[in-house]
Amino acid sequence: MRKTISIAATVALLGALTACGGGEAESSGPVTLRMTTWSANPDHVKLFDAIAADYKTTHPDVTVQFDALPFESYTTTVTTQIAGGNAPDIAWILEGAAPDFVASGALTPLDESIDDAADLAPTATALWKQDGKLMAYPFSTSPFGVFVNTDLVKKAGQKLPAGDEWTWDNAAKVAAATASKTGKQGLVVRDFDYKDWTNLATVFRGWGAEAWTADGKTCGFDQQPMIDAMTFLHKAIFTDKALPAPGVAADFFAGESAMTIAQISRASLLKEDGFGWALVPLPAGPSGGYSVIGQGGIGVLKKGKNASAAQEFVKFFTSPANSEKLAQFFPPPRKSQLNADTLAKANPLLKPEQLQDVVIDGIENGVVKPSHAGSAEINQAVRSGLDPLWKPDADVAGVLKGVCAAINPLLAK
Amino acid sequence: MTDVLDRTASPVRSAPGRRPFWTTRRRDQLTAYAFITPALLGALAFVFLPLVLVVWYSLHEWNVLADTFNFVGAENYRKLADDPNVPAVLRATAFFSIGLVVLNLALALLLAVLLNQKLRGTTFFRVLFFSPVVVSLLAWTIVWGFLLQDNGGLNGLLDAIGIDGPNWLRSGGTAMASVVIVQVFKNVGLNMVLFLAALQGVPQELYEAARTDGAGPWTIFRRITLPLISPTILLTSIITVVGSLQVFAQISVLTQGGPGTSTTVLVYYLYQQAFQFHAFGYGATLSVVLFLIVLALTVLQWQMRKRWVFHEH
Amino acid sequence: MSIRTKVFLYGVLLVLCVPFVFPTWWMITSSFKPNAEIFSPSLWPSSWSFEPWRQVFTMQPFAQQYFNSAYIAVVVTLGTLVVASMAGYAFARIRFRGQNVLFLLVLTGLLIPSEVTIVPLFRIFNSLGLVDTHWPLILVPMLGPPSVLATFIMRQFFITLPGELEEAARMDGLGRPAIFRRIALPLARPALGAVAIFTFLHSWNLYLEPVVYISTRTKYTLPQALTQFTDAYQGQLWNVQLSAASMTAIPVLIVFVLAQRQFIEGLAHTGLKG
Repeated sequence: MRKTISIAATVALLGALTACGGGEAESSGPVTLRMTTWSANPDHVKLFDAIAADYKTTHPDVTVQFDALPFESYTTTVTTQIAGGNAPDIAWILEGAAPDFVASGALTPLDESIDDAADLAPTATALWKQDGKLMAYPFSTSPFGVFVNTDLVKKAGQKLPAGDEWTWDNAAKVAAATASKTGKQGLVVRDFDYKDWTNLATVFRGWGAEAWTADGKTCGFDQQPMIDAMTFLHKAIFTDKALPAPGVAADFFAGESAMTIAQISRASLLKEDGFGWALVPLPAGPSGGYSVIGQGGIGVLKKGKNASAAQEFVKFFTSPANSEKLAQFFPPPRKSQLNADTLAKANPLLKPEQLQDVVIDGIENGVVKPSHAGSAEINQAVRSGLDPLWKPDADVAGVLKGVCAAINPLLAK
Repeated sequence: MTDVLDRTASPVRSAPGRRPFWTTRRRDQLTAYAFITPALLGALAFVFLPLVLVVWYSLHEWNVLADTFNFVGAENYRKLADDPNVPAVLRATAFFSIGLVVLNLALALLLAVLLNQKLRGTTFFRVLFFSPVVVSLLAWTIVWGFLLQDNGGLNGLLDAIGIDGPNWLRSGGTAMASVVIVQVFKNVGLNMVLFLAALQGVPQELYEAARTDGAGPWTIFRRITLPLISPTILLTSIITVVGSLQVFAQISVLTQGGPGTSTTVLVYYLYQQAFQFHAFGYGATLSVVLFLIVLALTVLQWQMRKRWVFHEH
Repeated sequence: MSIRTKVFLYGVLLVLCVPFVFPTWWMITSSFKPNAEIFSPSLWPSSWSFEPWRQVFTMQPFAQQYFNSAYIAVVVTLGTLVVASMAGYAFARIRFRGQNVLFLLVLTGLLIPSEVTIVPLFRIFNSLGLVDTHWPLILVPMLGPPSVLATFIMRQFFITLPGELEEAARMDGLGRPAIFRRIALPLARPALGAVAIFTFLHSWNLYLEPVVYISTRTKYTLPQALTQFTDAYQGQLWNVQLSAASMTAIPVLIVFVLAQRQFIEGLAHTGLKG
């Protein structure tokens, strides 16, 4: 009996080990492509399915299956699938994970697979290129703007500063006054929640601060611009109470705050019969006007079973015609579509001047949120390094120095 | 399954012969091996095989994205020794496990004793205390996340009685305690039910005898109740200790390991390394460490049972 | 017991049950609140909306997912009962060579957090072509670490059975399998009940594994489906999510309320005493 068991175990062990190393042959005939996304939204799914059905009319052999994974653990789940030998054929990639995916060699270059690649805005593709080759297509290039609950601001007897007056100092003043008069919150940096600090780039870029230098080698947290920006932020949170304190949840779109910094695509969360609202660019900081964009890319994994069929489909998915359809949810990276007319058709909620100020100018001049190879580990280190800052009596410069001490070894990797 | 065994066993039993090869003892042994075969095969396929593979992975530098899988020998273990986060992680793990086990067992015992009183309506309370066990862990944790916010339900309640509650999940001192307590409320009902069953199994005569001897309630509890339910305490403490080292969803929903690294327990850290930082080799190394810790603790508890568990043979 | 002691005991029980009941209460009532009201800790919705409960079914193939979770949990529970009672019985009542070593071997499974083995297991199932099927969710809990706990509980129970019963059965000419089936197993009903509840809940609440193994929406299990109720930009639709969470909890709660007497008293009668 025991012998049988040990033989069975050996067989199972060998089976598993050899299976790890096996390669899959490219299959011909009917193909099912699996594309991982982080959107389970029915409207999105409907659009994707429509595009896939459209594709099937010309490629009857190809079925595309959209696999919506939970956003919170998206990159993790994709990585697990790759580790387990079940890589998706096509994957959405978050901007934070972009450098890892782009530099790792896990993706197939897409230059051949994008129609009219010259049409792509250079600021949009910068993050997704490796040695001049486009490794993933930034299907969503969404600038950050400030949504304002005009009803709430009016109720507090405040006026929204316009033109040159739209500065961080004034924005914080209005936010603080509205918060104290209405009992709601002032300005919410959406999705920051004192954890995802990369969203703070929408604030500190106004001081010209950067998390690290463009080459990714030198920490920027202990530099003067960052110290100034964080000092401002700290005062706005703890002294002026213009921003909700740590651990306080407030959803702008449910009417719980005066303003929020969010990507413009969030406009669809506003209800037609809800409160009055406005969308304005990020306020000017001491270093002038600026804009920040968040991105999502779409890439073809080398380890997928049907890489060439996948490339074909990506070509179709990102074609100018489909890009226009996707534009209603995801601002496109195509310059030819970055005009108020095209965007207005896709985003009926937004006025042409809002589209021009925030979206079109934003994408052309924007910098992408901070990202770096090994970003998950760096983000984790920055997050825990910044934790001591979120107390009323924090030593801003000291904390920021600590952040640099924590991430310098990681940046050097 | 049992039918099959019956049928295969019966012709053997009726086989003729003066000194049958199949003595009762042999037949018993065969039955035993047959009975444990599914469990044993399961253990081999789903415990030992993966475990061997994890040890194998831990000797490699394995970056999934870059598709590298290089043998590096003990490199990951050297990294472990140099990793500045490890002491804090181990401290957090110990704090969580000890806190959870002590609070869980104490509360479970308290509830069980309360519900073992001759009171009307104990069934009702029993159901209430047990109910979180059947609520989805994810939902339970999310709800508590709301309650523990700085402007959440708990501080609202404290405010009403004039106490300025702390920012539970965001300050170093209270974050870990909060996670422990959320977990205790979630699962204490299970241990409570087991304790209750054990308490109800204690013969009433023993209590009466002790009372006639003039023993007070505390003495009775310590001298009679505790020893008699000690096997259950052993069982629940093993389950709770092992469970406490596997806490994951709670940390990931409530604190994500913060503030700082104050709630980064070992499972969470290995999950971060392997799945978030793509360092599967190092993650596997941490898995090996976790396994060794659990193994050591369980062996320790099992050894100690002879010391304090009543009527364990 | 004096009235004062009684009042005191009731007071203690009432205070103690707040943290146990409030979250569930809040989960159920909030599922009827409009999404904007979710963050308020109010005990009662200002207006009742049944819309979220309906949305649960329009946003996901929720009925199918419900069925998936239910049938997987039932299969796992039945399978575990068979595997664990047989192994538990053999380890407790039959002396055989290698008994202790093999028991420790099996017991090791109790010590393995699922995060530790998920990657190798994923590779194994992938090489068998079983990824995105329900097999890993059935096989691993039924034969792997979770069933070890069940085996352990069953062994601890069978140890307490008086040996005379078996001797008597043996005199009547029963073999081991028959003793197990006709004598030991019927006596073990309470322990089997405990194991069934543990196992069912474990399978019902499994989260990491389905997220890793299953990628087709119609094959999802409930905990996995729970995280999928989001708006266009991954904002959580809390009220829909809480409706779905309520729906997963309420039936189990009802079953427990109905069966708890048998469960607990059954345990008490024979005693899961070690």
